[in-house]
Amino acid sequence: MNDGDIAIDGSSANTTPLISERGRELNPHAQRCLQQLLRVWLGFERDLSTVPLLRRIDLGTYTVEDHLCLLRNLRQQVIEGSRWITRTASSFDRNHAEIRSTIISHAVDEHRDYELLEKDYVASGGDLNDILGMERNVGSEALHGFLMHRSSRPNPVDLLGAMWIIEGLGEKMARSWAERIQELTGLGEDSTRFMTYHGHNDGDHMERFYDMLDEVCVDGPTVRSIIKTSRVVARLYRLQLEEVEHELE
Amino acid sequence: MTVYITSTGAFLPGPPISVGEVEGILGAVHGKPSSLRVQIQKANKIETRHYAIDENQNTTHSNTEMASNAAEQCLDRAFLTRDKVGMLAVASTQGDLPAPGMASMVQAELGLPAIEILTTHGICSSSMMALKAAWNSLRLGDHEAAVVVSSELSSRLLKKQRYEAATESTYASKRIDFNTEFLRWMLSDGAGALLLQDKPAPKGFSFKIDWIHGFSHAHALPTCMSVGSAGLPDDERTWQDYDTYGEAEKAGALLLRQEVRLLDNIVRMGVDGYLRLVEDGISIPGEIDHFLCHYSSHHFRDKILDLLDAAGVGIPEDRWWTNLYTRGNTGAASLFIMIDEFLRTDEVTLNEGDTILCFVPESGRFNTTYMQLTAVKS
Repeated sequence: MNDGDIAIDGSSANTTPLISERGRELNPHAQRCLQQLLRVWLGFERDLSTVPLLRRIDLGTYTVEDHLCLLRNLRQQVIEGSRWITRTASSFDRNHAEIRSTIISHAVDEHRDYELLEKDYVASGGDLNDILGMERNVGSEALHGFLMHRSSRPNPVDLLGAMWIIEGLGEKMARSWAERIQELTGLGEDSTRFMTYHGHNDGDHMERFYDMLDEVCVDGPTVRSIIKTSRVVARLYRLQLEEVEHELE
Repeated sequence: MTVYITSTGAFLPGPPISVGEVEGILGAVHGKPSSLRVQIQKANKIETRHYAIDENQNTTHSNTEMASNAAEQCLDRAFLTRDKVGMLAVASTQGDLPAPGMASMVQAELGLPAIEILTTHGICSSSMMALKAAWNSLRLGDHEAAVVVSSELSSRLLKKQRYEAATESTYASKRIDFNTEFLRWMLSDGAGALLLQDKPAPKGFSFKIDWIHGFSHAHALPTCMSVGSAGLPDDERTWQDYDTYGEAEKAGALLLRQEVRLLDNIVRMGVDGYLRLVEDGISIPGEIDHFLCHYSSHHFRDKILDLLDAAGVGIPEDRWWTNLYTRGNTGAASLFIMIDEFLRTDEVTLNEGDTILCFVPESGRFNTTYMQLTAVKS
């Protein structure tokens, strides 16, 4: 029973993802970019509440079936995630060696995360073959297509906007969803390992993200391209989560 | 037309009630002390508050009386004869009567003849709604003066008898029903009033209203603070859908509820709204001299600070001022009670030209409202 574990004991961590734990000075363009990224994030996070499956987490009606459906639909995104990240790394030239290294190490951290997701699926009572045989949903197709397209362009700094949204969601899953899902469904911790592990890891990723932003975000056009990509990814990610519902029909 | 706040007033019923005395006023449900009270009070850090009910839960002041008392004080302090007041706007979560609107009752109590009235209904942000409508009315030149009052008597919702009567509610069936009890240890009673005029007061400080903006997110987010439903996910009935009010009360549909899990959204949407204002060049964080932020509990102060700082629009903590800790969380009345004391307190040095940012978030279904004032002297 953890009713009210927020908002009362004065010690709970800030539940807003994406916030750097240590204060830092960013260059003025990066600071402006961060401000706009934060707005894109807050809008994305708010609009996630309109996605029927996620609304059920808010309202307390989320079921084991919902959870299996969510995991089935997330898996393709997670598999494709490692592909666009590595593609992004390879699209940076030698003048961007630092950012390339950061992105490569990020990709190494996550490129087999989907296996964790498969284990969660089985632990939640799902049949392994069902999740292995799952196709990309309509939203995943759009998101993956967009990310592969952008990551194939030279020096795709705008993809910092994509990382911002996807990392933020990783943190949100860990902080807001995992425990609540267990409570609502009666499933054990082994049903949400992907969410909790991924979120934990993403804390370090955010620190690296702030460093990258400070390094590459040095003029107005870069700010605009990062923000635009963050908006597209936010919209397509939500589409992917909305499309989950069609599988349930 | 430029509009100024030229006078203020406040009314807090009865003596200040300390942390340990609260349950003696609201009453211990079935004679048993609450197991959540200390924890919730520790987090909100409110030291004293006021109630318009006594230790036997009898009402000592009606909501109308409190609103009228605050308005009387505001008008007594004004350099204006009452016949110049053309409009009365009154905000409250719940007036004494469900109908007519509370402004009618307050007008009657104040004896202001043949004026235009407005009642705004909501929770904390209803005060800003009333203020904005009155401000616009003066801006259009319809009136030269308007009184805006916000008043709350939430203790009537929070007294022990309400919980004891909810025999078939989540409160009765759960060992601890945090959502239903949370606000019991947060809210208290009081009223505040502002006088708006089309010119500054001839003496002392007036506050020029620079702008008022609000952003509501009800289209996307679920209800977070409410009265009127039993708080069950699969039960869509509201209090008037039950055969009798008695059944609604038994089901807990008349209890005040807060979906505590959703509360962090108010911090996020509050900061989102402020970022919108900064982006549009409406507010410049570095130019704010005083920040009057209505946060319901100390717990949220740090969260707001952190998020504003992270976005690079932080307002230094020494510019924040509140009287939450001594006057309590009086919902819609909080901002006006805060402005009234801010004008008089020795804790703050107010200079001509100072910019004051006011922020009233409402968790009901996530409405965030903002106002900027400039201190002027005629």
